Amino acid sequence: MKDFLTKINSTATQKYGAQYAEARAQKLYKTMLNLKEERVEAAKQGIENGVALRVLVNGAWGFASVGSFDGEILESAVSDACRMAKMASSRLKTPIKLAEAKVVNDRVEAKPKKNPADILMEDKVKTALAVNKASLGFDKRVKSCTTDYFDLTGTSYFVNSDGTSIEQDKMYVWARITASALNEGVFTFSREEIGSTAGYEIFDKQAPEALGEKVAKLAIEQLSAKSLKGGTFPVVLGPNVVGVFVHEAFGHLAEADLALSGGILASNMGKKIGSDLVTFYDDGTIEGSFGAFKYDDEGVQTQKTMLIKDGIVSGLMHNRETAQKFNAEPTGNARAEDFRVEPIIRMRCTYMAPRDHSFEELIEKVKQGYFFKRFRGGQANLDGTFQVGIQEGYEIINGEIGGPVRDASISGNTLETLHKIDAVGKDFMLDPGRCGKGQTAFISDGGPHIRVKEVVVGGSA
Amino acid sequence: MAVLKKDTMISLAENSVNEALKSGASEAEAYVYEGQATNIGIELGQISKTNRIIDRGVGIRVVANRAVGFAYTNIIDDQKAVESVILRALNAAKASKPDADWKGLPQKKPYTSLEKTFDDKIVELGSEELVNVASTMLDSAGQVDKRVFPIEGGIGSAYISNAIANSNGISGFDKGTVIECSLATLAKEGSAVTPVCFEFNASRNYDIDPVWVGKEAAKLAVSALKTKSVETKSTKLIMTQFALQDLFAYTLVNAVRADSVQRNQSPFKGKIGEKVASENLTIYDDGLFPGGLRTMAFDGEGVPHQKTAVIEKGVLRNFLYDNYSAKKEAKESTGNAARAGYLSTPSIDTSNFHVMPGNKTSEQMLSEVDDGLIIYYLQGAHSSNPVSGEFSVVATPAWKIRKGEIVHCSRGVMLAGNIFEVLKNVSLVGSNERQMGQLISPWIQVENVRVIGK
Repeated sequence: MKDFLTKINSTATQKYGAQYAEARAQKLYKTMLNLKEERVEAAKQGIENGVALRVLVNGAWGFASVGSFDGEILESAVSDACRMAKMASSRLKTPIKLAEAKVVNDRVEAKPKKNPADILMEDKVKTALAVNKASLGFDKRVKSCTTDYFDLTGTSYFVNSDGTSIEQDKMYVWARITASALNEGVFTFSREEIGSTAGYEIFDKQAPEALGEKVAKLAIEQLSAKSLKGGTFPVVLGPNVVGVFVHEAFGHLAEADLALSGGILASNMGKKIGSDLVTFYDDGTIEGSFGAFKYDDEGVQTQKTMLIKDGIVSGLMHNRETAQKFNAEPTGNARAEDFRVEPIIRMRCTYMAPRDHSFEELIEKVKQGYFFKRFRGGQANLDGTFQVGIQEGYEIINGEIGGPVRDASISGNTLETLHKIDAVGKDFMLDPGRCGKGQTAFISDGGPHIRVKEVVVGGSA
Repeated sequence: MAVLKKDTMISLAENSVNEALKSGASEAEAYVYEGQATNIGIELGQISKTNRIIDRGVGIRVVANRAVGFAYTNIIDDQKAVESVILRALNAAKASKPDADWKGLPQKKPYTSLEKTFDDKIVELGSEELVNVASTMLDSAGQVDKRVFPIEGGIGSAYISNAIANSNGISGFDKGTVIECSLATLAKEGSAVTPVCFEFNASRNYDIDPVWVGKEAAKLAVSALKTKSVETKSTKLIMTQFALQDLFAYTLVNAVRADSVQRNQSPFKGKIGEKVASENLTIYDDGLFPGGLRTMAFDGEGVPHQKTAVIEKGVLRNFLYDNYSAKKEAKESTGNAARAGYLSTPSIDTSNFHVMPGNKTSEQMLSEVDDGLIIYYLQGAHSSNPVSGEFSVVATPAWKIRKGEIVHCSRGVMLAGNIFEVLKNVSLVGSNERQMGQLISPWIQVENVRVIGK
C-alpha cells in the first residue's frame, strides 16, 4: 500500500506540479445494531474502502475522494484534484503554506483485550438486548428503550510527499441508550452514551444491565421533576456538563481555524480570560478514551495541548495550515471522519483540570440555585454565546440538593462565564461523545464538579 | 469519472436481490447509490479549497426466518465483493432475532414522473464556472460594508442517483441534481464581534442567486452589530425558516412519526382528527413537490412518494409511515422511509415538510408587529426534549421589532417553551415560502413565547 500511495503522490508533485501531496487509504469494517425495546430493528455490517487524495497547488487545496484502489481511477482523481486546485489558486490573495512536520515512519497496532471484530454478532445482539430488557424492566412507566450499537475496526494508511508513512489500526466501540417514560400525560426522555478505543472490554466495566437501569432511572426521576423559572442563578455543574461546556463553549473557539475565522480567542492569546481556577487541556494521549489516537490525518503525532493555564490563554489546536499562520507547532488535531472528507481541526479529549473542593463544599454556600448533573446537547457561536441543554438537574436550596427540575438549559457568554467560575472540585470524570462540525468526530470531554457564581438558566415555568 | 448508467444500477440491484434469494434469503432488497459532487470552498474570505467526491455503493437487506440483516459495501465493480456482502447480510440476519411483527417488504406500485429535479446544466458545470460563482458571491458580500468578514462558505454541485430492487418485483431508478451556494459572515467593529450570520440558496436546478446570498449574508451581519438587551417576558415572535427548521426537526417531526406514536413517544398518540394546532396551520409531507430538495420518485424502500396531510387547519390528520410501521396497523406506507444512501437501513423521516403559506408578505408581517422579536438562527435546538417537545434555546441573535420596524439586535436571548404550545399559538403565516433542507415554509408568527433576556 505504501509504494502504491507514494506513486500517486509522485504523480501529483512531478506531473502536475503540486507543492505537497498526501494520500490516505482506508479499509474499514463496521458493525451496527439498532434495538427498539426487545426488537432487533436491524443488524448491519459494512465495508468501506477508499482513498482520499489531497494536494496543494500554487497555495490552494485540491481534494479528491474515491471508493476504489484502482491505479487508473486514482491517477485520474489526482489529476482532477490538481487541476481544480490550480483553478482556485487564480483568485488567491494569501497562498496557503504548511508548517513543518516531523517525518514519521510507523506502524500503530490496536491491542485490545477483546477485539470487537472477534466478537460474534449474536453476542453483540445479546448485550444490547440485555440493556433494553433491564431498562424496560426497571419500571412499568418506562415505555420505550432504544440501543444503538456501533463498532469500527480496520486500518488507515497515510503517506505524504514529505516522506511520512503511517499504518494505523482504528478501533472504536460505542453505544447510545435512550429511554422514554410516560405517566399521567408527562413525557420524559433520557440518554446515555458509552464509547472506547480500548476494545469490547468496555462492557466488562459497564455491565449492560446496569446501563439499562441507569437510563431508565433517569427517565423515571424526571417524571416528578418541575419545570423551572428562567433567570440568573448560581449553579454547580457536574463533570458531564463541565465537559460539554469546555468542549462547546471554549473548545471550538480554541480550534485555530475558527479562531482565525473571527472567533474571540485569536486576539486573546496570552491574555487572562477566566478566573485563576481555569485550566483546560485538549489531550489525544489518554489511552482507551474515545478521543485518543496516535497520529492525526496529516501524519502529525497527537499530544496533550494546554489551552488555558490558570485563566490565561496558552494555546490553540492546530493543523499544519493554521500552525504556519500562527507560527506555532502543529498539535495533531487534524482529523477526517473517513476517506470521503478532508481533515479539519477537531478536538480529542477536552477537559478541565481539577482543584481542591469537595462536592459538599461546592454546594454549601449556594442559597438558591441549581445543580446540573447531565447534559442533553450543547452548542456555541464564534462570538462566544453558548447554550447547554440539561437532562438531569436539581434545585439547590440553602446549601442542600432539592427536587429534580426538567428540560432546563444554561447559556451565556463564554469569557464572562469563565470569570465567574469561583470554585473547582477535586474529582474528575470523562465521558465519550461525538462532535459534529460538518463531519462527525469521536471525542471525550469532562472535568471535575465546578461552581459558577451566576449563569442564565432557561426554563419555561 | 463517468456516472453509472440507469441500466447498470438497476441490474446491480436486481442481480443482488436474485443472488441473495439463491443464497438462502426468504426476501431481499438492494439499494444502489451514486453521488458525484464538486465543491469550491471559501475560507477566511478567499477561495482556497476544492474537492471532488465520488461515492458509490450497494446496501443489501435480507430477511431470513423473519429476522432482518443488512450489509453494505462501496466496492461494487467486483462481483466477489458484492457476493460477500450478501453473505454478511445473511449472517447478520442469523445473528438477529425473529420479529413477529415482520410482514414482508413492500409491494410494487407505480411511480409518478417528477418535475424540476434534474438539470443537465448542473451536471455539465465545470469547476471554472463554480469558481466564478463563488467569487461573485464573495464580491457581493464585500461590497455591502467594510465591517463584514466572509468567513466560510462555497458552492457545490452534485449528481445523485438511486436504484432499488426487491424480491416483490420493485425496481426503480431516480436521478437528480442539486446545487447550493452559501456564505457565513460576521461583522466586527472595534472589539465587538457579531454572531455568525448565514445565507444560502439551494436548488435542484441551476437558478441560484449568488449575488443575493452574498448581500443578504453581509446585511444580516451588519444589522447584528447594534445590540441592546431585551427584557424577560412572554412576547410575540416571528420565526423565520432557519429557526423553524431547527426546532421542528428535533420536536414536531418526532411526534408525527408513526414509530414514535406506536412506541408511546408522541403526545399526538390517539389524537388523529383532533385540533392540535392553530387553525392557521396546515402542513403536508410532500415527497413529490416540484423541485423539492427531498423530492424523489420513491422512498428508501421503493414505495412511491406521495403527498400526505399531516395537519390541516390545526387538525391532526395523519402520521408518517414506512412499510413496517404501516403493516403493524394494517395500513399502507406513506412513502416516508428515509435512507442515507447505501449506508443505512430505512427509517421514518419527512420528505418535504411543507407548511402551507398564507397571504402576508414579510414586509406586512413586520409592519404589523408593535412589540416583538424576529428569530433567525437558534442554538441548542438539538437539546430539546424530543418526546415532550420542551425546548430551551438561544437565539443567535434575535432582532427586536418595535412599531413595525427592526430596531436592534439582542444577544444571548433565550426562548423556552413547548413546541405543542407554540403550534397552538401561531397567529399568522406569511406568504414568503422558501425551502430549507426538508422544510418548505414561510415565516410564522407566534404569540406568547417565554423570552429570557438579561
